[in-house]
Amino acid sequence: MQKLGNSLLTGLFLLCLVQAKSQTIQFEKYTLPNGLKIILHEDHSAPVVAVSALYHVGSKNEDTARTGFAHFFEHLLFEGTDNIKRGEFDKYVSGAGGYSNANTTQDRTFYFELFPSNQVDLGLWLESERMMHAKVEQVGVNTQREVVKEEKRQRIDNRPYGSFITEVLKRAYKVHPYRWFTIGSLEHLNAAKLDEFVQFYKTYYVPNNCVLSIAGDINIPELKKKIEAYFGPIAKGILVMNRPSIKEPPLGGEVRDVIYDNIQLAGVFQAYRAPKQGGNEYYAFNVLSNILSGGESSRMNKVLVDNKQLAAAVQSVPFFNEDDGLFISLGIANVGVNIDTLEKNMDSVINELKNGLVGEREFQKVKNQITTEMVNSKATMAGIAESLANNEVYFGDANLINTELEKYNKVTRQDVLNVAKKYLNKDNRVVLHYLPKEKPTAK
Amino acid sequence: MKKFIYITLFILPFFAMAQKIDRTKAPVPGKAPLIQVADPVKFTLANGLQVFVVKNTKLPRVSATLALDRDGIKEGEKAGLSDLAGQLLKRGTEKKSKAELDEAVEYLGGSLSTSSQYASVSSLKNNFPKIMELLSEVMLHPALSTVELEKLRTQTISAIEANKDEPNAIANNVVNKLVYGANHAYGEITTVKTVNAINVEDVKNYVKSYWIPNNAYLIFVGDIEPAVAKALAEKNFGTWAKGNYTRPNYDKPAIPATTYIAIVDRPASVQSVVSVASTVNLTKGSPNDIPSIVMNNILGGGSSGRLFLNLREKHGFTYGAYSSIRPDHQIGFFKAESSVRNEKTDSAIQEILNELNNIRNTKVGDTELSQMKNYLAGGFARSLEDPATIANFALSIAVNHLPADYYQKYLTNLAAVNASKVQEVATALLNPGKMHIVVVGNAKQIAKGLEKYGPVKYFDIEGNEMAAPVEAKVDLSLTPVALMEKAIAAIGSKEALDNLKDVQLKGTASVMGQSLEMKQSILIPGNSVTTMSMGGMAIMRQAVVDGKYSVTQQGQEAPITDDLKEGLDESASLAPEQLYLAKGYGLKIIGGDKVGGKEVIDVEVTTPSKKVSHRFYDAKTFLLIKTSKSEEVPGRGTMTQQQFYNAYQTVNGIQIPSEMIIDMGQMKINVKYTDIKVNQGLKIADLK
Repeated sequence: MQKLGNSLLTGLFLLCLVQAKSQTIQFEKYTLPNGLKIILHEDHSAPVVAVSALYHVGSKNEDTARTGFAHFFEHLLFEGTDNIKRGEFDKYVSGAGGYSNANTTQDRTFYFELFPSNQVDLGLWLESERMMHAKVEQVGVNTQREVVKEEKRQRIDNRPYGSFITEVLKRAYKVHPYRWFTIGSLEHLNAAKLDEFVQFYKTYYVPNNCVLSIAGDINIPELKKKIEAYFGPIAKGILVMNRPSIKEPPLGGEVRDVIYDNIQLAGVFQAYRAPKQGGNEYYAFNVLSNILSGGESSRMNKVLVDNKQLAAAVQSVPFFNEDDGLFISLGIANVGVNIDTLEKNMDSVINELKNGLVGEREFQKVKNQITTEMVNSKATMAGIAESLANNEVYFGDANLINTELEKYNKVTRQDVLNVAKKYLNKDNRVVLHYLPKEKPTAK
Repeated sequence: MKKFIYITLFILPFFAMAQKIDRTKAPVPGKAPLIQVADPVKFTLANGLQVFVVKNTKLPRVSATLALDRDGIKEGEKAGLSDLAGQLLKRGTEKKSKAELDEAVEYLGGSLSTSSQYASVSSLKNNFPKIMELLSEVMLHPALSTVELEKLRTQTISAIEANKDEPNAIANNVVNKLVYGANHAYGEITTVKTVNAINVEDVKNYVKSYWIPNNAYLIFVGDIEPAVAKALAEKNFGTWAKGNYTRPNYDKPAIPATTYIAIVDRPASVQSVVSVASTVNLTKGSPNDIPSIVMNNILGGGSSGRLFLNLREKHGFTYGAYSSIRPDHQIGFFKAESSVRNEKTDSAIQEILNELNNIRNTKVGDTELSQMKNYLAGGFARSLEDPATIANFALSIAVNHLPADYYQKYLTNLAAVNASKVQEVATALLNPGKMHIVVVGNAKQIAKGLEKYGPVKYFDIEGNEMAAPVEAKVDLSLTPVALMEKAIAAIGSKEALDNLKDVQLKGTASVMGQSLEMKQSILIPGNSVTTMSMGGMAIMRQAVVDGKYSVTQQGQEAPITDDLKEGLDESASLAPEQLYLAKGYGLKIIGGDKVGGKEVIDVEVTTPSKKVSHRFYDAKTFLLIKTSKSEEVPGRGTMTQQQFYNAYQTVNGIQIPSEMIIDMGQMKINVKYTDIKVNQGLKIADLK
């Protein structure tokens, strides 16, 4: 194990940091008078185009008595508009050879379509209709309530360990709206009246709360005219958006609990309170996460899965957000492994990070892995469109897509040691043990 | 050298675009984009290795894939060999352990994977020469070690065990076995027995005889000059020794004379997995190839396919219904499938056959056809975003002996498919009168009425034909109380039971390939401790001692429910039937059944806390053969836990089952007691 005080080596090490340069993503960014931000990236290497709309509304903007609204809209806004009949949104997409999807986080909601590039206008029409004319009606609300119920069943109740994020969040946060997960409460959705849904739509689904990000085989001057035609007439939103500015106080001591679930193998979930995304500590944490579980040779995989065969699977999950986030380390026990034994061994892997600097070769390995990841993240038009929009909304800096690697390159071994020591402590974490519900009863 | 062929997407005619928009209608698509299908650079090394290079400088990364051009191998008693060999390749080389190899790959920020027919690496451009060396080391000098083979074997067997009860896995195995026959490579089933038969020499022989350069392709994709690729290929694979490969010839599988039903009985099923399948004479590049893709997608290609719209949207039999068609130069394959509620099995088969007849007998409508063609054309265009698509096209042309312009003409040929052609291929390829209809489900509930589709036959989970299950005929004239008395008498005489003071059972419990120590001590009346442990460490302990109940699992106390208390009380008796007669239990005789070939009487037991379970007693000996308990789990449907009792031994005049199988669906525990002692003077203190 490395001892402290190797700062000289660290200094030398800085000189030989990752040299690989990734391709620069050129883009054009501007704002319409109604506040809609537009980001365009032109790339003719394949005849495809990704059309995306990112709305800066997630579960943290919800009323505490109406949780699940943001995610509910991700479903509701496929129902139809003044000009698109109910249920036909998807038909337009597939009939044009396209693909569409959407997702919701605690911070934002994202919609995108991928088309052969001659169908870019269809994407503009669909997204502008969604912003301008969505039908928020009882019939759609009723239908989508059932769909969301089914989704909750499939993705949370029915999936082994599927409830862990929900269970972690409600223990890790006491006052911040991150204490509930995006799926929210079905009771809240059932209790909500139609005009509450209408109000939410009018408040958040407005041009001044959206980034339209388009990447692919496009002609920018021509496209700008069409964007103006489709989105220009949409009125700016004037209702007040709920933007919580709540600082969650420290956890103040370890929180432990046991959850019984429909699983065969026991699991340990440790969630450490962590900083918000974008700062130096955030980049150090991502490096740290790769040291722990990035690939077969990472520490958790090598020690817990391969050598000691205590775990069937391990993973570290940086769960970072606009406000203070979490760093989750999880292990699923092998058959016959005592859950406390697994947790002790997970702890010792974590403690090793706090006891000294990571070895130079291992550190370089992780940097190399991250460099590759950064290049691969630019492989698809949909990925580029999403990164540009996320960076613009979170940091006001779409260009971060080109400069993020530098931020990783600045991370030192000392930085990793610092975040490990500062955050990966018992009194700063929630620990959940997942155990099987059904117990074999011997005769 | 590099040439582009330009093709026009046919989607729709185009019009001059007016800047004024009409929001009430979807916009007209723009001028169709030019689809560029590049031709890779190709060359062959002296040892016969064929190399393709698809240069794409968009991102500074490169990948290389080795692909083996071989047909399915008949592996017989060692089925599963080529899969295991493929996985073993990347688990260490002659010079590097698995851990060292993993680290070397990841230090380069790259990845390396191997399977039975493929091996590939990828990394950023600057590290690519080094990762190519690792690919060469893995392929030319693999360790193929016994230790790593054993690790893989354990994992593979666990997966097979887990799949034994998985209805979709059963359906896949049986469909392949019946459609292709046991003598065809595609009809083989990998079992625990065949995996256990594989040794390291077999793996080495497989790698030596099949992984040969003159039967392989090496495909580079990414930011690399063909000259550089050539140098890397020569350096890393130039010394790879040639070998011989002869393409196997399998007889064409027989087509059934008439459609028949093959039932695989799975009594626990609440859904039937229905597959309607057959071989088809279809090869890639043949005139029916592209039309068959259009036809199959209209029939069952997804949520807009006819099967989905009929079985799910219209009738609500199921969550999904799909079809697939696969060309192959040996013999092609067609399958329509759906998982449907038990009581809708007959209707679902009828509707699937109706759709097969429908697409043969009636021309598809213009809108349905053009929307499907648009969808497929769009998918083709979108697939080109990934440069590996071009490489896959080139490989497909080579191994399937397609015309060089097959993919360049793909869209033109797709556009040319009309309604008559769709009907023609449906008629040529789908024959509803000569289908294998495989149903994995609860035979007792679903078999009735299926004879109208053809002869009804029964098969085991490995596709071997077996006799139809016979409706058990057992004497049901006993009252529940009389039956309980007979069951108690079967365990032991009154005297023997009265003399019984304590019992100690020791043995093993095996779970998914792991062996645990199992111990149970019973002190009459009403005390029992059961522990499961590994290496001396308790994993589970459940006890009732002195009226105190406790259940500990992996170091955690479980909450004690009434239900749990009842279970523990039962565990403290060798004849819990005495409890059922004495306390407030409800008993009801349900009927006769068969368990493991034995005729049994099914009794429903309702506990004082209103939990319902079933006990199955041997109709001749009245010994307990099986118990079963179902529970509604929110969002997951009904979960059933079954326990089977075997190998009864007589100890001091008492019948004790020395083997027990606890079957929880996805997990099975096999308990074997090897050491059974009674009346050893056990005390309460010994139990604490």
